[in-house]
Amino acid sequence: MSTGRKLAVVGVGYSPVSRKTDLTVHETAYLACKTAIEDSGLKPAEIDGVAQYGFPFEMVTTWEVSETLGIGELQWYTDLSGTGPAGITGVIAAAAAVASGSCDACVVYRTVSRAGGHSGGEGSRTAPKAVGGDMQFSAPYGNFAAPQWFGMYMRRYMHVYGATEEHFGAVAVTQREWAALNERAIFRDPMTMEDYLACRYISEPLRLFDCDLPVTGAGAVIITTAERAKDLRHRPVYIDSWAFGTGPRPDWFQWPDMANMGSHHAAPKMWQRSQFKPEDVDTAQVYDGFTIITLQWLEALGFCKFGEAGPFVAEGNTRLGGKLPTNTNGGMLNIGRVHGISHVIEAVEQLRGNLGPRQVANARVAVAANGGGPTAGCMTFYRE
Amino acid sequence: MSQAPQLPRPLPLPDKFTQFYWDAAKRHKLAILRCQDCGTFIHMPRPLCRGCLSSNLAPHDTNGLGTVYTYTQTHYIYHPYWADKAPYVVALVELEEDPSVRIVSNIVECPIDQVHIGMPVEVVFEELADEVSIPQFRPRQSPS
Repeated sequence: MSTGRKLAVVGVGYSPVSRKTDLTVHETAYLACKTAIEDSGLKPAEIDGVAQYGFPFEMVTTWEVSETLGIGELQWYTDLSGTGPAGITGVIAAAAAVASGSCDACVVYRTVSRAGGHSGGEGSRTAPKAVGGDMQFSAPYGNFAAPQWFGMYMRRYMHVYGATEEHFGAVAVTQREWAALNERAIFRDPMTMEDYLACRYISEPLRLFDCDLPVTGAGAVIITTAERAKDLRHRPVYIDSWAFGTGPRPDWFQWPDMANMGSHHAAPKMWQRSQFKPEDVDTAQVYDGFTIITLQWLEALGFCKFGEAGPFVAEGNTRLGGKLPTNTNGGMLNIGRVHGISHVIEAVEQLRGNLGPRQVANARVAVAANGGGPTAGCMTFYRE
Repeated sequence: MSQAPQLPRPLPLPDKFTQFYWDAAKRHKLAILRCQDCGTFIHMPRPLCRGCLSSNLAPHDTNGLGTVYTYTQTHYIYHPYWADKAPYVVALVELEEDPSVRIVSNIVECPIDQVHIGMPVEVVFEELADEVSIPQFRPRQSPS
């Protein structure tokens, strides 16, 4: 990308991420940021930018993080909420801020709470008597939650491209293979296609194993200039390009072509701005809130043709040793829904090259992508 | 099943932009907001036309015909009303008069395994409570 200063990711980190914990969302935000700051080698006082993306019921503000961690005088900060493509929303904002010179070193985090209102979360089972806003056109019909919406996207995708349930299953089975190599993953036992097909529907054709795993936890990333990155702890991972996309109508149900998603609008823009092409990518970390989203990102990013991501995954291309190792930490299906910042962290860690059994050999270029339905954001990273 | 008290399904909570829609439903019409300057259909209701930014909008009574664009059968119980009704269909119906308008609906008067993409449907009205009707779609019975 030609605009602004050359950028590097210099720190990454997680808080403990688990299905059951006594940690509050505030503790997880602080612990993830502390881990990322220590990973970078920067002192808190050297950080002058803070960004976060979160939903209101689990948000920890940039002020709270700055005050608690002794972060320096803020030159730039933003609290993003609601409509963005998950955790990468804040990462793209932070990259733009450092590239422009609005700040020199920015910590960005995403905090999630299982007790919150995500579908499948403990706060998601409610019995409202009357519903306002746009949901007044959905709630009377029992249409409440993302698994239903993605069930409808899946059905349309199957109708247009002839995709099968086994194609979605291939994502779940392959990512479980990766999870077995990741000691941080929560689900690590092998899963077969029979296991996938035997599991219950949430909203047909979407099954339980198509869904990511609700957890409490946080992830954080630190971005600074390539110049500042020279003498920090890790070999820098550079940011090449990024893009957002919504498509023509940012609405879940009025979105024109539900066999596609916002990813099909974000990815071409990113490649226009990039020094790389899809065939240069060594590993992809693409959103897997639901397995349909993973398939659509693989197509949108140009790793296979439209409608062919199912066979692409089923043939083993996204496995260890495959053409495009994908979601190499097991994805949110298995490590838990850290809401997309985990895809950025895994891309950076793959390019650092120290991931042990799940390391992609000689990984030099990585893509991270978040968001489904109308929301999409993607980034390309590289090492020199 | 136990004899737990039947919780009603959630009702729409109209506001100044949506009141016309539910008023129309009460008289058994499916009304969609339409720009009086450029003809664009606006759903969900908004105070401006996304085609020309006009605020000269008025409800238009549609012919109530549509086609199933996509659907899902929901098995998970998100709300106790559906506890003894799952699996149930949630569909998006595109309207014949402007297929870019999609209405969320259950497909009623139809076995759950008969619903399919491309199915011609027509609007009917379901009474949820005193003075509250909601549009629903059923397989089309009138000649199209």
